[in-house]
Amino acid sequence: MTGMDAILHGGLQGYLVVALLLFAIGLAAVLLRRTLLMQFMGVELMLNAANVALLAFARFRGGDLQATVFYLFIIAVAACEAAVGLALIIGLYRHRDTTDSDRTASLKQ
Amino acid sequence: MFLAFALITLLGALGMLLQKNIIVAGLFMVAAFFGIAGLFVLLANPVAAALQLIVYSGAIMVLVLFVIMMLSSHEEEAAEVGHPIQRWLSVLLALALAAGGVTLVLASKGVRQLAERGAAMPPAVTLQGVGAALFEGHVLGFEVAGLMLLAAMVGAVALTKRNL
Repeated sequence: MTGMDAILHGGLQGYLVVALLLFAIGLAAVLLRRTLLMQFMGVELMLNAANVALLAFARFRGGDLQATVFYLFIIAVAACEAAVGLALIIGLYRHRDTTDSDRTASLKQ
Repeated sequence: MFLAFALITLLGALGMLLQKNIIVAGLFMVAAFFGIAGLFVLLANPVAAALQLIVYSGAIMVLVLFVIMMLSSHEEEAAEVGHPIQRWLSVLLALALAAGGVTLVLASKGVRQLAERGAAMPPAVTLQGVGAALFEGHVLGFEVAGLMLLAAMVGAVALTKRNL
């Protein structure tokens, strides 16, 4: 399988292309959207793109179990990040009454 | 099958990027996570697929949707100052990153060799195997992850509580 064929029928290249496009879309969400919650979802998307690439490489290396263990740690970190990030957004909304990242650029009250 | 799940994932992500209403964007994200779980099944990894559904679609996105509903406005606020140059630059950056990465992956000899060498489907990852690998080699990491989750929980409560 080479080139287009690998992308269309689930070769390693296909999974890597999906991961790359997912990462680019997540990056675009962080850069283009102003709402902090949308930027947060973009970060989650980039994290997932990395997971797809990791597990794709593991499958093509003969089903390496270490990758799944690593994936377990990644989602533990993602859960922590989600809890603290959302708590920060709620705290910010209480103080400033906005979740727009442009309006929250200064650290002063 | 691969194409279907890849399309669900990418269209869900694209819908999230383009959607104005934050709740609908969150639901698009859930669709994208379902697509990713499907890709994990195709990668002979049902354990990761189940974890993806439970943790991402089940826990993280429900948390995000709760927070969205706690806040009063569901639409993006009007821009205070437009940043047209930065916006075009970021579109350009994301497109250049995607195009460059895709050409690199397709041109890479190492990736092609790896794809050919590992083309045979490996046995599916089992929960038993993952558990054994986790507790044989990564007990310390496991404990640290538990401690980190506890710290994040305490931190989240401390940050959101009005008068501590």
